[in-house]
Amino acid sequence: MAISVDEPGVSRDLARKAGYTFTLLSDPDATAIHRYHLLHARGGPEGSDISRPAEFLVDRTGTVRWTNFTEDIRVRARAAEMLAAAQAIN
Amino acid sequence: MANQRVNRSLWLGALFLVLAFVLGSLPFFAQIPGQQALPWLNLLLGAVAVAFFIRGLLLATRQPALYRGKAAGWTLTVLSSLLFLFSLFAYYASRHIPDANAAPQVGQNAPDFEVKDTSGQPVSLAQLLASPVGPGKTGPQPKAVLLVFYRGYW
Repeated sequence: MAISVDEPGVSRDLARKAGYTFTLLSDPDATAIHRYHLLHARGGPEGSDISRPAEFLVDRTGTVRWTNFTEDIRVRARAAEMLAAAQAIN
Repeated sequence: MANQRVNRSLWLGALFLVLAFVLGSLPFFAQIPGQQALPWLNLLLGAVAVAFFIRGLLLATRQPALYRGKAAGWTLTVLSSLLFLFSLFAYYASRHIPDANAAPQVGQNAPDFEVKDTSGQPVSLAQLLASPVGPGKTGPQPKAVLLVFYRGYW
């Protein structure tokens, strides 16, 4: 699931254009982003609030099992890392 | 004129400039290991390129009879310096993000939340953990859910 402040319509267009099959979720008021303490105030276009990049793997009990918090927005978690973390969960 | 030498510094500078540019673009496009090193490697190679251009420019201005490339030296030095300044700014800007010290850590509970899917329907983390997501929405309960917070599409 990928979460951003983008409105549902923007995410829908992105998924269609890029052919994404994973779920895109919209948090335009940044309530979930606030709850996870990931707000990047005025980090977006025209001084809008966005999320800093972050990845969490949450198991079915709701416990965080793996995280990745980059220090550089150009360096992100790779698909292989995330897949390995997911495969480690039984 | 017959005994002119090739101004190698300018060519070496150009080589490093291209390397810096390619490596600086790689983090966006390539699935390669060691990507953490690329942003500062880009800066280092850019600095080396600027240094070579300056050296080539000095050779061309001090010994114009021996080394060609005065105009090229000036152009490349100024352009590469501007590019280097831009890289410095990009390096600073892409690391100038809030820390995630207060975010949920491994072993902690992931707070529930409600967001909207692409059709505008509300969906909570509890729901995502309880039932499969996607067309049809059938099948076993997922083992886990991967939450990727991203900066948005703009």
